[in-house]
Amino acid sequence: MTDTTTSSRTAMIEVIKVSKSYPPNVTALADISVSIASGEIFFLIGRSGAGKTTLLKLLCNMERPSNGLIEVAGMNIHQVTGNKLAKLRQKVGVAYQDFRLLTDRTVAENIAISMEVSYKKPQIIRSRVRNLLAQLQLEDKHDILTGDLSRGEQQRVALARAVANSPTLILVDEPTGNLDATSTTQVMELLTRCSNSGATIVIATHDETLYRHSTHRVMKLHNGELASLTRGDEV
Amino acid sequence: MNFWFSVLRQTGRNLRQTWTTQFMTCLTVSLSVLIFSFFYLVYLNMLNAGDKVSDDLRLVVYLEEEPGPELQEQLRLKITQFDQVQEIKFISKAEAYSRFAEELGDNRDVLTDMPTDFLPASIEVTPLKSLRSLGQIKLFAEYLTTIPGSQKVQYGQKWVERFYYFIQLLSIVVLLSGFLLILTATFMVASTIRLTIFGRQEELELLKLVGATNNYIRTPFLLEGILLGLMGSLLGLASLYTLFQWTLRHFSGEGFLDLFTFTFFPPGIIFTIVILSIVLCTAGSYTSMQKFLRI
Ligand SMILES: Nc1ncnc2c1ncn2[C@@H]1O[C@H](COP(=O)(O)OP(=O)(O)OP(=O)(O)O)[C@@H](O)[C@H]1O
Ligand SMILES: [Mg+2]
Repeated sequence: MTDTTTSSRTAMIEVIKVSKSYPPNVTALADISVSIASGEIFFLIGRSGAGKTTLLKLLCNMERPSNGLIEVAGMNIHQVTGNKLAKLRQKVGVAYQDFRLLTDRTVAENIAISMEVSYKKPQIIRSRVRNLLAQLQLEDKHDILTGDLSRGEQQRVALARAVANSPTLILVDEPTGNLDATSTTQVMELLTRCSNSGATIVIATHDETLYRHSTHRVMKLHNGELASLTRGDEV
Repeated sequence: MNFWFSVLRQTGRNLRQTWTTQFMTCLTVSLSVLIFSFFYLVYLNMLNAGDKVSDDLRLVVYLEEEPGPELQEQLRLKITQFDQVQEIKFISKAEAYSRFAEELGDNRDVLTDMPTDFLPASIEVTPLKSLRSLGQIKLFAEYLTTIPGSQKVQYGQKWVERFYYFIQLLSIVVLLSGFLLILTATFMVASTIRLTIFGRQEELELLKLVGATNNYIRTPFLLEGILLGLMGSLLGLASLYTLFQWTLRHFSGEGFLDLFTFTFFPPGIIFTIVILSIVLCTAGSYTSMQKFLRI
């Protein structure tokens, strides 16, 4: 019994006094500390250039912090290398702000990539891809090259790829920037389903409709510094 | 199982996207193999020819006196001190006389007034039938002049020396061409793989980000290296074989080529060439891949 309570309380992410500066002297993040629990949905907001993407890049080990410590699932991710790092990354799904889709491959192939690297069976991959496309109403785009899609469609394919391998941590950068209200709802429903099955989710966004009526925690950054950390309905 | 399924699919995709470069590289590899194995084949056949020639190669040591049995034994020992030999045969004056008479045939009358011991006694030394002893024959002859009682040493000096230098030249050509072609092939494969990597950088980086292991990223390129090495060497050897057959068909029965019997590589050497080519191509692709994975 105590087991479940501790596990629900364990932190998925520990960010301790983290700073990040880019050469020559851009301070993208300054002295950020935050702890995100396992299974939590966590929002990152702030004006353009506030440092949201930078924080997400640090969390998925695309960048190294200039100072401070970041732990994901109890591991200092910047000390993990080789196959261990690969295994960790298979458990972290990222939807990048610039999508990073392979524009000369089809939608299905793009989504499949994140499952192929952990050697899922082809038939499992196929059904998972169809299932995700149905949830995002992109069934008819299955065999279209992602380069030919609209920005909003590309955005959803990027999200589908991030969640396809059922990661325990999902990082989403601006998931709804190019979407209409209906599509936005579908995206949030998909993320909620992932959360219900145990995933921790960090969302960077400018869209306050996503969190305004929720009790999820919202962290506001301003020029790389922590401006406020409150519940969504209190922002 | 799933690892190999994914890796093979990736390899197929690579080949489909870059088959022109791959094809050119394959041709380069096969040309390298062709040139090298051509020289090597000529070299091997020359060695065989050397064997044949040394069949009738004998050093004849003319002696001042006819040696008694005890001295014969001593001389035999002296000779074998230099090197192992195939045969040592003592020819007495009488034997030399009767041999000469036999050679004269119907003209043996000219000998009637001659004493039967006018020809010197001699030792016929047949060296081992190997190229090494062929190369040493000059030294051997010099050594034989120093043994007590020897007057003069005879063998096919000029011919042997020329042949010997020719073989030496040929082995230098084989070694040098082998070395250069190994460099060329490895370099070509390395740069082809680097080009493919460069063309797929975006994808490979994404693969790293979604958690592909280094083996997952690397294996398709190593397979490509293996394939290039295999196809290249097989193609090269096949063209050499065709060339070989063509030469045999068009030049056999014509004078000097009949002196030698030409043979193609035995299976062991073919196997070695193919394996070597595969190893080199894989090494080339491996180094390119390591450079990328370290970034
Ligand atoms: N690679 C880099 N080199 C130099 N400066 C950078 C680099 N990446 C980000 N920055 C700077 O760091 C700051 C934070 O950038 P970041 O991308 O995190 O902002 P953001 O909050 O995601 O903005 P947006 O809402 O527009 O996506 C910006 O001032 C940006 O110019
Ligand atoms: Mg951003």
